[in-house]
Amino acid sequence: MSGKPLRIPAGLVSAVVALLIWQIATTWGPLAGTSVPTATSTLAELWNMLFMSETWDSIWQTIQMALYGFLIAVAIAIPVGILIGLSRFAFISTKFTFDFFKVIPPIVIIPITILVFGPTLQMGVFLVVFAIVFALAVQTAYGVRDADPVLIETMRCYGMGRAKQVLFARLPAASPFIAIGIRISVSAAMIVAVVAGLVGGAPGLGHDLLLAQTNGQNTVTFAIVLILGILGLAVSRLVVFLQRRLIFWTAS
Amino acid sequence: MAIAIAVNGVSMEYKTPKGTTHVLDNVSYEVQDGHFVSIVGPSGVGKTTLLRLLTGLAQPTAGEILVRGKRISSSPDDLAVVLQDYTRSLMPWLSVEKNIALPLKNQKLTKAERKERITASLAEVGLEGAESKYPWQLSGGMQQRVSIARALAVRPSILVMDEPFASVDAQTRFDLEDLVLKVRDDFGITTLMVTHDIDEAVYLSDEIVVLQGKPAKVRDVVKVDIPFPRSQMETRNDARFADLRTHVYGMVRGLE
Repeated sequence: MSGKPLRIPAGLVSAVVALLIWQIATTWGPLAGTSVPTATSTLAELWNMLFMSETWDSIWQTIQMALYGFLIAVAIAIPVGILIGLSRFAFISTKFTFDFFKVIPPIVIIPITILVFGPTLQMGVFLVVFAIVFALAVQTAYGVRDADPVLIETMRCYGMGRAKQVLFARLPAASPFIAIGIRISVSAAMIVAVVAGLVGGAPGLGHDLLLAQTNGQNTVTFAIVLILGILGLAVSRLVVFLQRRLIFWTAS
Repeated sequence: MAIAIAVNGVSMEYKTPKGTTHVLDNVSYEVQDGHFVSIVGPSGVGKTTLLRLLTGLAQPTAGEILVRGKRISSSPDDLAVVLQDYTRSLMPWLSVEKNIALPLKNQKLTKAERKERITASLAEVGLEGAESKYPWQLSGGMQQRVSIARALAVRPSILVMDEPFASVDAQTRFDLEDLVLKVRDDFGITTLMVTHDIDEAVYLSDEIVVLQGKPAKVRDVVKVDIPFPRSQMETRNDARFADLRTHVYGMVRGLE
């Protein structure tokens, strides 16, 4: 706990140092005179953009794609993962297929999704679901299988059936696994939501990034990158915060 | 006195890729209503296997187990368990109160009745006011007390314990032994305990079932004719106590 008061200033210091290095490199250093804008002009652009409703629309569209995709993936993956985890046969037989889909980068199916959905929000949502649903299901199944057999047998001795075992033992036991899956998924959802715009033309920050790039608006490009970074950081902080609250028993 | 549990010619075999492991062979004994019976035997003799059969977690390959004359095929309703590994048999994500309340969901109780049962059980094990604590906030001995309170709250007629005091320190063990004797006195619960601690078996039991051999058979059923109430100080210094523990120890070790 003694490191806690230091954490925020330490983070700030490294951010300021990074900005300084950026500023120096683009003013006097090797990046001076290139298409990389200076830190100050990027920050100024970012400040301007914060007063434009288009920026907030884009942020919201990106968050929507990530969020809807994430929620749909959770709604599918957790029940499916529980069912798979409950049966040894289902676990072993689906593992291969799920691991196969897990490693396919969503970017390779973008051409198909463009054909089906067009460059829309739905396409982004679909890509996000595809990117995370398999990993999350596998993670849930692992967690469900990890429930302590002693605990399950205790419950059986007390006459508690399958449903109660799942609700009171298997699901809580799986929750640290699910939490890890969710932490990874949330980051992946944000990245894929941007890629959907950048490569697939779906609306949002990714699409803005693509436009700014092709129009040579370098400061805008870098300002969007900064927004994405801040957004990603905020989301992952939120997840960690919720995780500590909800899965309190693993802390000690 | 009525017979609470009858084990009739129970045999148990496990099929493994290497062949069949014969764990129990024609094990029979009867437990009188309200008695405290310990099952002792050398390590790996099949005590835990027998316990799994008694709790209905597994079915014997031959023979049958009757609880009050009825053959069991799954865990009997009025049975409660206390296991060695309290950290694994209590739920860290539930408070003490909710841990105890969980098995009560199978019984039709009003909220007030449930609350009353929890309070009374915690008082019985000397953990008044621990309702809102989490298991991991308690010491090992206290966690095992919670397990016992959970068992008592269902008002069982049969209590099954698997090495219940093996994971606590010696002082706590004596306290918990006396707690179990008190509980038996207060409620008259028929109790079956698997243990490797022969002194403990003699101290607590009316009868001791000695398993011996591979596959395990009942070597002997020893009657512990030391009167109740027993006390750690006096009973353990009793000449009869010494005789019995030597006798049982000899059989467990295969020296007699």
